Amino acid sequence: MKSNQYSVKIYETRIDDEEEFISFFDTNYTLFKDHLIVIQGKLPKRIENYLKVKKLKYLHNFDLPKGRSRKALESELNAEKVESVISKQIAEAKVEELSSRLQNNLTVLDDMIRSGRELNIEGDLLLLNRVNSGATINALGNVIITKVVEGAIRCNGNFMMLTASPKANIIFHGVEVENNLLANKLNRVELKNNEIIITPVLKKEINWA
Amino acid sequence: MGIVIAVISGKGGVGKTTATANLGLGVALNDKRCVVVDFDIGQRNLDMILGLENRVVYDIVQVMEGDASVKQALIKSKVNENLFFLAASQSKDKTVLESDKVQKLVTELKEDFDFVILDAPAGIESGYEHTIEFADAAIIIVNPEVSSIRDADRAIGILDSKSHKVKNGEDVAKYLVINRIDADMVQKGEMLKSEDILEILSVKLLGKVPEDKGVIDASNQGKPVILDKKSVAGQAYFRIASRLCGKKVDMKDIEVANSGFFSKLSGIFK
Repeated sequence: MKSNQYSVKIYETRIDDEEEFISFFDTNYTLFKDHLIVIQGKLPKRIENYLKVKKLKYLHNFDLPKGRSRKALESELNAEKVESVISKQIAEAKVEELSSRLQNNLTVLDDMIRSGRELNIEGDLLLLNRVNSGATINALGNVIITKVVEGAIRCNGNFMMLTASPKANIIFHGVEVENNLLANKLNRVELKNNEIIITPVLKKEINWA
Repeated sequence: MGIVIAVISGKGGVGKTTATANLGLGVALNDKRCVVVDFDIGQRNLDMILGLENRVVYDIVQVMEGDASVKQALIKSKVNENLFFLAASQSKDKTVLESDKVQKLVTELKEDFDFVILDAPAGIESGYEHTIEFADAAIIIVNPEVSSIRDADRAIGILDSKSHKVKNGEDVAKYLVINRIDADMVQKGEMLKSEDILEILSVKLLGKVPEDKGVIDASNQGKPVILDKKSVAGQAYFRIASRLCGKKVDMKDIEVANSGFFSKLSGIFK
């Protein structure tokens, strides 16, 4: 592909007074005769004729691509840099705030969680009472429940401690935990290397009778 | 100044209205002035079970709207002079109830009666919320089956959050009545045990009522089963009503089937 690159001098103007324009060009003709004249706005017939007679190259209502000075470019780049530093700081602060909210946020409850109740816990939960059928607990952190669960638990923390809960619906990190794996008196459910591991903490009491 | 008791269940068809009628009459038989109010606006049944359906002139909505006075609307029972009845509207629906009007009515009834027993509608909608809003206590009726227990649990949850008393930092007294217990089925493990129900709901037990075929016939005739001295359900309701009136009545273990020698013997001669 063969191409040429030129720098063209442009005289851009807007015509408010035809007389003024003509007299200005008459006096400065030698200066502007090699410029590209760009008329923005209205172009009266008389001016059009005048430009043709004088053999001036002109464009009417044309959106010119204007370059920016080096200085302007530099300052723009600097501003972008500052902005990215600020946004990075904001992002870091947000992560820190979220982790501290999860880390140092223990909710201790002795309420009976009745049917229809939905608890949304941001941090960890220690519940000393029952979760009845039809109730839901969503926890971002760890969950310890000391009495039987018959409702639904959604836990996204590192571990859960649950009593034997044959009727519960337990989802740990999006995976349903089978009820028969929670058969012991107290069970620990934890996530290790992307694997859910369930270990008995207190074994089932042996019924001798 | 009397006590306002809401009879609730969450689930429909567990025997709320039957219990309301029988407990109302039972309290009256214990010489307490009692009014039973049907709050099931749009689906009134209590009038039929009390045998007062053709006596209804004014209903609870007309009283609350100021179209009739409480005195005009109160219907006296045919069987006991201590028992009065306030009918629900059959044509309106639950949306006509408003908190301040309910409060005014309940306060007025409390002045005149020892017991104001409100029969709540099934469900947990606005009609239910208005029934429990100004109650001092609630009697929860359940059947020994899981769906009834879960619905009652939900109803208790709403009672604990919406009641006027709870909002003022007080406690609403809650009592449980387990209705329609079949001893044989409990023994076979086919029906929930009372201990399990109490564990799930953690509410004080007020009494147990055994399954009794006579209840349906009694309701159809408009004569609450408590009047039938031979009926096991009637006896159970009388024990519960007496407990409500502050009498000490021991819990009868109705979950043990009568399969002893003497009952078998009497079974032959039936």
